[in-house]
Amino acid sequence: MTRPPAAGQSAAGQAATDPAATDPAVVASASVPATQVPTPALGSDDTAEPSAARDAQDGGARPPASRQRLHLPRLGRFFLHRPGLVLSVIVVVVVGLAAFWPALYTSRDPLQGIPSNRFAGPSGQHWFGTDELGRDLFARVVHGAALSLKATIIAVAVAFVVGGTLGLIAGFVGRWVEDVIMRVVDVMLSIPGLFMSLALVTAFGYGTVKVAVAVGIAQVASFARVMRSEVLKVRQATYVEASRSIGARWYSVLGRHVLPNALGPVLVLATLDFGVSVLAVSSLSFLGYGAAPPAPEWGTLISSGRNYLANAWWLTTLPGLTVVATVLSTNRIARALDGEWATQR
Amino acid sequence: MWRYVLRRLAQAVGVLWAAYTVTFLVLDFLPGDPVSAMAGAGMDSQGIDPAQIEKLRHQYGFDQPVLVQYFHYLTKALRGDFGTSVSTNRSVSSVLLDALPPTLALTGLGLTIGVLTGGLLAFAATYTNHRWLRQGLLSLPSLGVSVPGFWIGLMLVQLFSFRIRLFPAFGNDGLRGLILPAVTMAVLPGAMVAQILARSLLTALAEPYTQTAQAKGAGRLRVHLRHALRNALLPTLTIIGVLTGQLMANAVVIETVFSRNGLGRITAAAVNVQDIPVVQGVVVFGTFVFVTVNLVIDLVYPLLDPRIAVGSARRGPARPRGTPSDPTLGGGLATSTVVGSTAGSSR
Amino acid sequence: MHRSRQSASTRWAVVAVAVLAVGSTLLSACGSGGSSDDGTPAGAAPKSGGTLTFAVGSDVGCVDPQQVGSNDTVYSTRQIVDSLTDQDPTTGKIVPWLAQSWQISPDAKAFTFHLKPGVTFSDGTPLTAQVVKDNFEVIPKLGTLAQLGAGYLAGYAGSKAIDDRTIEVDFQQSNAQFLQATSTFSLGIVSAASVRKTPQARCRDGVIGSGPFVLSKYVPSQSISLKKRTGYTWGSSLFSKSGDAYLDALEFKVVPEAGVRTSSLQTGQVDAIGAVAQADESSLRASGVQLAARANPGVPFGLSFNNAKAPFSDPNVRKAIGLAINRQQIVDTVFPTGTKPATSVLARTTPGYVDLSSTLAFDKAKAGSLLDAAGWKLGADGIRQKNGTPLAVTITWFTNAATNQPALELIQQQLKAVGIKIDLKQLQIAQIAQVLTGGGFEVLWGNVTRADPDILRSQFSTKGLNAYKIPATGLDTVLVQQAAEPDATKRAALVAQAQRLIVNNAYVVPVVELETELGVGKNVHDLRFEASSRIQLHDTWKN
Repeated sequence: MTRPPAAGQSAAGQAATDPAATDPAVVASASVPATQVPTPALGSDDTAEPSAARDAQDGGARPPASRQRLHLPRLGRFFLHRPGLVLSVIVVVVVGLAAFWPALYTSRDPLQGIPSNRFAGPSGQHWFGTDELGRDLFARVVHGAALSLKATIIAVAVAFVVGGTLGLIAGFVGRWVEDVIMRVVDVMLSIPGLFMSLALVTAFGYGTVKVAVAVGIAQVASFARVMRSEVLKVRQATYVEASRSIGARWYSVLGRHVLPNALGPVLVLATLDFGVSVLAVSSLSFLGYGAAPPAPEWGTLISSGRNYLANAWWLTTLPGLTVVATVLSTNRIARALDGEWATQR
Repeated sequence: MWRYVLRRLAQAVGVLWAAYTVTFLVLDFLPGDPVSAMAGAGMDSQGIDPAQIEKLRHQYGFDQPVLVQYFHYLTKALRGDFGTSVSTNRSVSSVLLDALPPTLALTGLGLTIGVLTGGLLAFAATYTNHRWLRQGLLSLPSLGVSVPGFWIGLMLVQLFSFRIRLFPAFGNDGLRGLILPAVTMAVLPGAMVAQILARSLLTALAEPYTQTAQAKGAGRLRVHLRHALRNALLPTLTIIGVLTGQLMANAVVIETVFSRNGLGRITAAAVNVQDIPVVQGVVVFGTFVFVTVNLVIDLVYPLLDPRIAVGSARRGPARPRGTPSDPTLGGGLATSTVVGSTAGSSR
Repeated sequence: MHRSRQSASTRWAVVAVAVLAVGSTLLSACGSGGSSDDGTPAGAAPKSGGTLTFAVGSDVGCVDPQQVGSNDTVYSTRQIVDSLTDQDPTTGKIVPWLAQSWQISPDAKAFTFHLKPGVTFSDGTPLTAQVVKDNFEVIPKLGTLAQLGAGYLAGYAGSKAIDDRTIEVDFQQSNAQFLQATSTFSLGIVSAASVRKTPQARCRDGVIGSGPFVLSKYVPSQSISLKKRTGYTWGSSLFSKSGDAYLDALEFKVVPEAGVRTSSLQTGQVDAIGAVAQADESSLRASGVQLAARANPGVPFGLSFNNAKAPFSDPNVRKAIGLAINRQQIVDTVFPTGTKPATSVLARTTPGYVDLSSTLAFDKAKAGSLLDAAGWKLGADGIRQKNGTPLAVTITWFTNAATNQPALELIQQQLKAVGIKIDLKQLQIAQIAQVLTGGGFEVLWGNVTRADPDILRSQFSTKGLNAYKIPATGLDTVLVQQAAEPDATKRAALVAQAQRLIVNNAYVVPVVELETELGVGKNVHDLRFEASSRIQLHDTWKN
């Protein structure tokens, strides 16, 4: 395919095509799913065409990727042609701010309502309406961002750190250590992600952090895979071989060459994984395993709105739209990042 | 060929064994006392007093060394006995088997609807010359993968059960009750099939031979259709492989939303009351399905696409590198290698 | 935690009549939407056949009527068994069912029942005095879940099968409430084969009863299916139809969301629903659904403390929590129309109830000063603390009613206003036994339905399970005395004294009375409440 590989494939695909990676095992395992859960990167861009399509239309005449540093006019043009990306960045910034400074958006208490104002529909007064106890739903969604996004960040961090470390060790140390780690990773990959999370929740108990960790652990395997294949690729590159041959210590090789080069695709995967984790965390809190009520986690909000589907549509619809907007935006950004990575190499 | 099949079977069994071990470790040795949970969740008449706990410990063998317990449970599991549900006192295997048919119907219909609409969408998007329409259609799938399944379900219920009153809002009542859950289930596979198929169609249509064919006067629709059909099969297979786990996971959420009987609802209920044997059974069963489906797909793949040679490499068939090609799916090969690379040692 | 019981002594029942009559209404009398007085369109004759689909909100995980007390499950399990007697929901009078007559010794220690001839269980075995005796002997041994039945049989001394159809039940002391207790599902009679099974097996597979319906399938937390018993000729004297039930089958489906239950009733996917939410009342009425409400007697919904655990071992803290709760606001915001705030530890429809609303008034200022006096000073974060420990309380609750969560979140708000931090811990109703016996909770949210004040003894006596870890005091004596007191007036005085002792010491904080509200489709007729606000479906029919 002529399209620039995206996300996981940037790892998978390239390892597979990298002449250095002649070892069949490397080829095989590198092509394993980057994330087990299907991720959104698939999607079209906001020019709404897969890059392959674009290539096809341009007759493949895409300008060769520039290795120069980005300069502002280029950056401006880059965004100008991608209004959807701009919008996504705005959404993510808005949601991110809500998670850390909810007071920016609302002064209302998400936990204290006026019972006589219950079930008021969306209006200028209450943008998202009010719930069964007269609490302002907008305030609850804003404050819920803190819980939901922090859970997501924990999940991604767990997957990134644990998975990345495992992959690094496997790729760098090799031998039986690699065999053992990668076999474990294979097994983890074959256990459906949500089931793994549910098993962990059963063992840990309920709560935002526990759910976050459970989601993170379920995604460790994909990070380990991508990291390992990147490390292998870099390790076998000529300049690394060269620096080793001139007697560089292993840690300096690791720190100077292997890590910086391998980290890129893993970071892209982490961005992508962000959307996946938002969905996974909200699913688990929807099922009731997240923070105890009345904490306004997004999934919990939607779940408790179910009782009032018949008389208050906004209680399920609006928090849901917030989740959709967040996931859509992080996915779009992940794809843009991925494109950048791909073209820079 | 047969050697290859046998090896793959052995690998699948190996993965299953390892998955069982992992869940055993997670559920039985992590914090949280399984015995007190069981004593409470069950209908044990004496309630929780220390003697009772000891008795249960003994009954479940928790007073024995870890390895002894492990082999005890493993041998039972090998015989298909995953113990007894502590909340319902029924055997785990019968609980799971009873719950299976409605879930199969749900995932089956959902997958079918998803593949058909996804295929149609990809076809329409790549066929049309209307720029805006094409972009609009092509952006639908990325929306589809960003929407939480439970929320889609709730929106459908609100619209089609509460406002229009076309379909029931819950339950297992025949086909009518299956429609909304199946449509909810269809969103994810639909979006993925659409993306992958659209991509491979666009690639194929850009190939010189396609243009040659068109130049020779073959109708545009015919050429397009032929490509679509030829390109649709493998992505679909791949999707099924990759998504098996995800579909089962979605069943948990969707069956909860629609209060439908099935494996998913059993799972959620078991987690709610810490019914450890059932949770373990579900995880192992899910892994079994995932591994089996992917094994079958790997075996079928070369039959469908002669370009892929079997057993040429020591590692078994590689699915075509370019085909499904979605990164996040990890390329089509993905799932095969989940199983595939288990056995083949890497160096 | 809807448990239920009901009972009244022979003479007590007479007193009960007046009280019960206040809160008792036949469902159809409450029905709206143009139905005539008895809920039947004029001229329409009842007809047989059809399946009644009933959506309930939860499943307790057990289908044995002798063990289950949760309303949502009782709706179905009640139909499987017959009781020795029945209680008229309007008059409170005890009338014949499986027993065609009975005698009670003057000291209310010995009860002799004469069984109807020709009664068989659905496995074909006959009802005999020996089977009844076996039932009474096994019920107290069924364990945690069967607390209701065990309570009715407290002080059980033994039974004698005088002949095949005559049984004498003896108690060690007077047991005034026993006759009414025999009308409850908890003392419904199951076959000899079922008696011999383990409590777990009975929960899982159900029991063989002699009732108008037979359990055909149980899928835990999903559905309970029953089918009609043919050849049923021994119905309660309260049944209007003799012989078999009208309906061919009953389907109870577990639908946890109130909104979904409501819409399913409106679309006709189900014929009736339990636990109608306040928010859905108007839209249900508008679509012609009959709303049937009946106040549940017994202990109202409230907060039960673990009285042995700090800070609840300090009565001032318990009292302050009671004073800080604005009951009227909770009732108005969350509960169905017609629900009343709790004014005692007994609901107003319970015989022997006394109005203690002055003690249970809302007084934020007084709550604050009590807490100050107890050493809990307001901290900078608005939460009180003592020696650096914040006043944080965990309330454990069960997901068996849609009103629980909003009610508790409102209580959480109200208590925060006086500086008490509340955490809510949600559990499944199936875990209730674990919580009650484990005693790990701080505060429990729940109620117990029962039409006899003896419920106070089973809930608050330190001699029984004492789930709330109440200290042994003079209350115990009063509770024992009322159970043994055959004289209605004297018993009422004792019951009043017990209520005052419990409310004044704030062992529990009663909050709101349970008002059972059912939504019943237009095509369903004669779906009636029995005396403790559960339903009896023998006479129900569809067109």
